[in-house]
Amino acid sequence: MSTTTADRVSKATSQPGLASSVRFRNFALVMAMSFPVLYVICDIFNLPLFTYHPGTNRVDLFWAAARSGEGPAMYWYGWTATCLVASPVLGLIGSLLPESFVQNKLVKILVWALYVIAVPFLVWSLMPFWTK
Amino acid sequence: MSVNTFWTIFLILHGLAAVALLGALTHQALAVAMPVRQVAAGGPGFVTRFRAVTGPAYATAVCVLWIITFILGAFIYTKYRIYIRIPIEQAGFWKTQGFFELKEHFASFGLGLLPIYWYFWKNAQNPEYDGARKGATLVLTAMCWFIFIVGHVVNNVRGYGS
Repeated sequence: MSTTTADRVSKATSQPGLASSVRFRNFALVMAMSFPVLYVICDIFNLPLFTYHPGTNRVDLFWAAARSGEGPAMYWYGWTATCLVASPVLGLIGSLLPESFVQNKLVKILVWALYVIAVPFLVWSLMPFWTK
Repeated sequence: MSVNTFWTIFLILHGLAAVALLGALTHQALAVAMPVRQVAAGGPGFVTRFRAVTGPAYATAVCVLWIITFILGAFIYTKYRIYIRIPIEQAGFWKTQGFFELKEHFASFGLGLLPIYWYFWKNAQNPEYDGARKGATLVLTAMCWFIFIVGHVVNNVRGYGS
């Protein structure tokens, strides 16, 4: 049996379940908008959910300084974890928003534009690397 | 198996997953940015064929590939921090390291964007989401290209065999 391009488009674009759920759409919209904001805050104010010490394979809850003689501390895992926990929580709250939420044109722009707006803040947070 | 071989295998798998992701996203980005409306007389050329893919069919694959590539990269990163970054800093390649840090930020950003990106593509028949779908896809593609190129450069600075 052969499938045409039209069949494949139709199959790929008319999924039941999550793809037709207004609640999931609002959840994903709020999660997508909150993620870069939370990430920049975590990066600039150093708010990891945990700190990983690769030299000793140790994990500390929240922020912890590198210990003398034990190698560096890694915060990126912790920042990502903070955002992967907090943004879905905000998304769940957002899933309760009314249908009219997505009618706002600004929401449909911010959902991707916030990622672009966040870039200068991330570049700024890495200033020591650019100026050495 | 030696320790070097073990990590090299994971680095290669990370790279292969990244290539697949880059290809899928680039196909989809061109399809959404420059959709093929009418094939020119004489048949479609390479670029037209490249753009003429079924964009929605790539959405789930892109999400799965981003997550696989992210997990493999995050696993390798533990060794990178000690055995690659420290020598890079000792050699004074600060900007290279800065770009690597930015790449890691973008890799995390992708995770936040994936659910709505998937939703937009699974509702590709709805013109209400056309602009947002295009924006989300192009942002993901731009981040993916940046991550890929920086990863490649860092590998050239101190990767395989170093």
